[in-house]
Amino acid sequence: MSNTRPNCVLHCQGVSHWFGSNRVLNNINLEITAGQIVAVVGPSGCGKSTLLRAILGTHPPKAGQIIANGHPVTRPNRDVGIVYQNYSLFDFLTARDNVAFGLMLDQTTLPERLFGYFQWRKLRSQHRQQALDLLEKVQLSKAANLYPHEMSGGMRQRVAIAQALIMEPKILLLDEPFGALDEATREELQLMLLRLYDENLQAKAAGQTPPYTILIVTHELNEALYVSDRVIGLSQYHQDGANGATIVYDKQAPVFKAGDARDFEQFETQKDELRKAVFTPSATRHHSEFVTFWNEHDKAFAP
Amino acid sequence: MLMVRKSIPKAWQFSLGIASILLLVGGYTVFSHGRAVRQKEVAAQQLDNVRNLLSEVLATPADELDPASLAKRQSKIHDYEAQITRFEQESQTAIDRTVPTWSSLYHDGLLRVLSPQGLKKDEYWLAEDAWATFIRLISGLGVGVALSLIIGILMGAYASIESFFLPPLSFLAKIPPTAMMAIFFILVGTSYQMYVTMIAFGVLPTLAQSIYQSAKKDVPENLIFKAYTLGASSLELIWNVIYKQILPRLIDAVRLQIGPAMVMLVAAEWMVSSAGFGYRLRLFYQRTDMTVIFVYVLILGVAGLVADYLLTLLRRKLCPWFGD
Ligand SMILES: Nc1ncnc2c1ncn2[C@@H]1O[C@H](COP(=O)(O)OP(=O)(O)OP(=O)(O)O)[C@@H](O)[C@H]1O
Ligand SMILES: [Mg+2]
Repeated sequence: MSNTRPNCVLHCQGVSHWFGSNRVLNNINLEITAGQIVAVVGPSGCGKSTLLRAILGTHPPKAGQIIANGHPVTRPNRDVGIVYQNYSLFDFLTARDNVAFGLMLDQTTLPERLFGYFQWRKLRSQHRQQALDLLEKVQLSKAANLYPHEMSGGMRQRVAIAQALIMEPKILLLDEPFGALDEATREELQLMLLRLYDENLQAKAAGQTPPYTILIVTHELNEALYVSDRVIGLSQYHQDGANGATIVYDKQAPVFKAGDARDFEQFETQKDELRKAVFTPSATRHHSEFVTFWNEHDKAFAP
Repeated sequence: MLMVRKSIPKAWQFSLGIASILLLVGGYTVFSHGRAVRQKEVAAQQLDNVRNLLSEVLATPADELDPASLAKRQSKIHDYEAQITRFEQESQTAIDRTVPTWSSLYHDGLLRVLSPQGLKKDEYWLAEDAWATFIRLISGLGVGVALSLIIGILMGAYASIESFFLPPLSFLAKIPPTAMMAIFFILVGTSYQMYVTMIAFGVLPTLAQSIYQSAKKDVPENLIFKAYTLGASSLELIWNVIYKQILPRLIDAVRLQIGPAMVMLVAAEWMVSSAGFGYRLRLFYQRTDMTVIFVYVLILGVAGLVADYLLTLLRRKLCPWFGD
């Protein structure tokens, strides 16, 4: 898979990483195209966060290359967005200003804001309006003027997602974003992701590039299958596991609409498959046995 | 036994606070008043003695004496009369300048530092001293805070600057600033610039270190990465993220450095200045006259409280997100 697909927003090529003698990531090859919502699951400590940090560019891999939006990733930049489990917001800004923050940083420079103060003020009110619109979309317009310490965990994560989305990143990384939230809040935020996916489908139907591409790490298999359209398993349980974790599962996931019933019964077969492929320490098969996403995709779309 | 950390009603908190102040003021009143009364009694006692002595002298008839004895008698009478005038006065109003009474503090202390003094009646002590000390303190702190902010933030932001500045700062922070005074007096002289240099260098090691700690610890790594994904430049990261985040801690750190800065300043003024709080305190110390000293000490305490309060207000105004 060295030739890149059209609409490819993220391409990991032979990515490996290790800490001293602890080999964590082992030759990871992954291609994600615009509009996909990809869930990553894997045993605790297998290197999911390490992979995300490599894609983000804060901790580049020891071997291999990562291409985002056509450019090799060397440091964090505006093409790749991130939402961490916590500590994702700026304490000194209100919800609204947290969301508008990226527009300011991205579109103006410090000297411009200092020396072109009046122009900046005009632009700023536009930014704040944009931020308010986006907050409305994640159903938080009421909290616009609250500071992070005045918000609940769920509100904070919603602001963090809006903050990342306003940049229209080529790909958005979520590292266990709902891990610390209660069940009800979790469900609400899952619905929010489904609504974003819905917009992707509409854009595709209209012949446009779908706007949201998301890579989400989660512990919850149900959540992974529910919010995504593609599930990836990262695991060290395979033939070459001594050299670290690699992708041992890559298949389509059932697509839900925000209004559909949360019917998790239908996941059981795929969950069993996932447990077998990703979470069984005794597994010694070749890692590619369950990596069939692109084959199936290409078969389905073959001329 | 009383339970640890048991809360008490607001009214109680308030009353206990008032009570402690009243105790302080009352204690001083009783003490200074007691001294004054005793002093009056002693004076009255002495007045009696001298009066007796005088009447004894007067009892011996003058016409039987030779001229030499007569002159002696005359001078004795003169001497006793002078003493009587003094003791009469002292037994009425005691003049205790070691533990002055409130009224003495007011008349001989406060009124004196507020009204014109000196031969030409053109010296306003409090205004002149306060201004001299204030301007030195503000300039010194201003320079010190500005330098500390630059060094501290850059240290928190760049590992190379951190490695470069950390050893000298840790070392300098351990030297008591008053021990450095001799060096400043000799290298910079005893001018206004010396006070500014001394205060700036005195507060810099501690202040820069606490700003650096804050820039490192209060700004989580993830937040920095996040800012980069939002398109921040490194300059914006320093100004729009790190500086904003540490501002409340910065204000608190400055607030806490006012005390040490005043220690250095008053000590230096005591030694080499010809104006300022320290200078006036030394003058009156040498005369063992506590009236002005107590007034100045009170003013310094109140000024410290006010400065504290103002900086807390400033922090609340600039950083509403920080809470209390
Ligand atoms: N900075 C580091 N230094 C040394 N080892 C590290 C470091 N970061 C991670 N590791 C190791 O790398 C491995 C993968 O860690 P990582 O955080 O990526 O796992 P994870 O899949 O995200 O786990 P979890 O599901 O618990 O979040 C672990 O064995 C961890 O001990
Ligand atoms: Mg992790």
